[in-house]
Amino acid sequence: MKKILLLLVSVLFTLNTFGQTESSIDYSPVNTVTQIGDTLIMKFQYFKNDGADLTLGQVDFEYNNKLLAYISHESQAPSGANFSRNNWGGYKFNPKADTSEDDMDVQYIWWKDEAAANSYSTSADWSVERITVQSAGALGADQEFVKYSFRVKDKFNSGYSNYNDVIKVNWANYQQSNGTQIQTNRSKDGQDLSGIEGGNAGSFTINLKTANTDNYTDYSYTILDAAGSSVTTGTFDESGQGIIAEGVLSNNVTYTAQANLTEAATYLDEVVTVSDLALVFAEAIGAGSGPSGGSTTFDYFIQDIMGDVVGDSNGVDFQDSYEILAYLQGVDSSNTNLITQAGQTEDYSGIESTYGALVSDVVTFAKSFTPIDSDASSKTIDLAHGLRGDVNFSHSWTPTIESGGKSLMARQSSARYSKTQSEDANIDLISEINDEGQVVFSINSDVEGMVGSQFNIVYDPNILSLENVIFDTGNTMTNFSNIVESGIVRVGSFNQELSSTVKEGTPYQLIFTPLETIENTSGLISFRVKEGVKADGTKINFIIQ
Amino acid sequence: MRKILLLLSLTILMGCYQEDIIEQFPDADIPQSLQIKELIGIKLESTIVTDRVSMNVKLPLDGKYRVKIRHGINNELISQEMITASEGDNLLKVYVASLDKSGYMIQLTDEFHNILGNQSFVVN
Repeated sequence: MKKILLLLVSVLFTLNTFGQTESSIDYSPVNTVTQIGDTLIMKFQYFKNDGADLTLGQVDFEYNNKLLAYISHESQAPSGANFSRNNWGGYKFNPKADTSEDDMDVQYIWWKDEAAANSYSTSADWSVERITVQSAGALGADQEFVKYSFRVKDKFNSGYSNYNDVIKVNWANYQQSNGTQIQTNRSKDGQDLSGIEGGNAGSFTINLKTANTDNYTDYSYTILDAAGSSVTTGTFDESGQGIIAEGVLSNNVTYTAQANLTEAATYLDEVVTVSDLALVFAEAIGAGSGPSGGSTTFDYFIQDIMGDVVGDSNGVDFQDSYEILAYLQGVDSSNTNLITQAGQTEDYSGIESTYGALVSDVVTFAKSFTPIDSDASSKTIDLAHGLRGDVNFSHSWTPTIESGGKSLMARQSSARYSKTQSEDANIDLISEINDEGQVVFSINSDVEGMVGSQFNIVYDPNILSLENVIFDTGNTMTNFSNIVESGIVRVGSFNQELSSTVKEGTPYQLIFTPLETIENTSGLISFRVKEGVKADGTKINFIIQ
Repeated sequence: MRKILLLLSLTILMGCYQEDIIEQFPDADIPQSLQIKELIGIKLESTIVTDRVSMNVKLPLDGKYRVKIRHGINNELISQEMITASEGDNLLKVYVASLDKSGYMIQLTDEFHNILGNQSFVVN
């Protein structure tokens, strides 16, 4: 009997001992925060399990002051109870080693009796808060002690990659009215915040996509917000990158980006050439598609936009081809056109992956992007750029097949890319002084099958005066020569039926009169555009030995 | 045997003497900055050019030659002239006012594009 009683007493003692650990300090958000700048309201609460009467509650916690900014606190102590708040910035609690950090009364005793000066250490990232609630009567179960309000700060450059453990309770001192310590645990290791959006997106990179790779610095970018207002502008560097500085863009905000080529670029008269003309003519004719002209010669949807130089949004037709021909001939068509030319650009730009894609039968140039903090790839975009009239993409980005390629069935040719590919051929361009003292610039060609050719010749107008252009291209070619600007002459030929070809030999000779005495011509005449085009639209790049 | 050795020594000495004469008495008509020691070559008076610069084209024979200007990065030919010139030094000019500011290579070839000399220059 004695043994049974002893066993019973032992069991009751054991149950009583464990029963004393059943209270806790509960802390949790009252509201949900989703954005940088939101106000987080935290409640700190007594959680009573074992029926012990709590008359003194003291809670010590720390918060990350790089991620949260204290706004205010509000006592929740019951009427008649005393409330006190203390705080110390720049400190962090050092829990007792080899014990559970969740054991709040053990950590309290550690601070009070054991650690001496070792319980806290200085730490600029943390602030310590301590609240004390003391009541004459027992505090009720689930009694709140206090509510704190914090502003959620941007973690950019904070040294923290997330909002985990932004608040941690360090210890709790729960006592009954007779001073008996109540064993206490905390409800969680620390308070995490997740899904916080907004904040500084950091440095942002725009990669310009263009065929005009020698002149990246001639391009600029503009970032617009949802209202269409400019957020920032800048120019691309020599590698084609535009770097937007930290603090300009925010996470989870959708912007649009556009790229523009300066109208002061010196090569704009080299963008639209006889090769573009041939492509537009072929498309206007509906070459090879029969009387209906129902099929297309273009490989990409975007060519329908680039070739529509009249801008009537009616696709490519003879109006467009004649407008380009008139432009190359230097003839005033009396129409306003959108051809990229000296002093005039008509830019198109969009995110490269969808650049020129067809959406609901409309060619699109999607420009929007949204930086997301957790996705490093969202901090960079590839921005493709094109120019109106540049149908063969000589200075424009070529879309991908996936984004902007026309289907094989839609195209007249089964050979994809044939209209935008090129081949090389040798020619000889040379100047010399003839017996009459004139400077003769000869273009000698043995290239066969060219339905068109074009040369943009640059000369020094202070030393040479252009007197004449002699054509020997054959009887059926439409020849043109016009001075684009002082010191630049455009010379070429084109057969509108795409059937006759430029005669071999010396199809073009330019005769100049020197304006001063010269012994030779080195450097006086140079060549920029020098290209031909075949009937199927293949561009011929002339190579000069 | 002695006579042969003496003759050989004299020949060697004379050969050295001839070179010294060339070094000490260059063509008085050619400015020093344009003088070319070799029999063939091309030389500009200055490497950095703003408007025009004098050039010496030294040729082995009378005939037709090409003077080419190539881009300094991609070697693309951007200007070319055919000259008819005489054996020896030929003082000419290179006009750069209409060329873009960049680096270039000027090249002398025969009529059939065989390279005889070249020099880099910069348009500033």
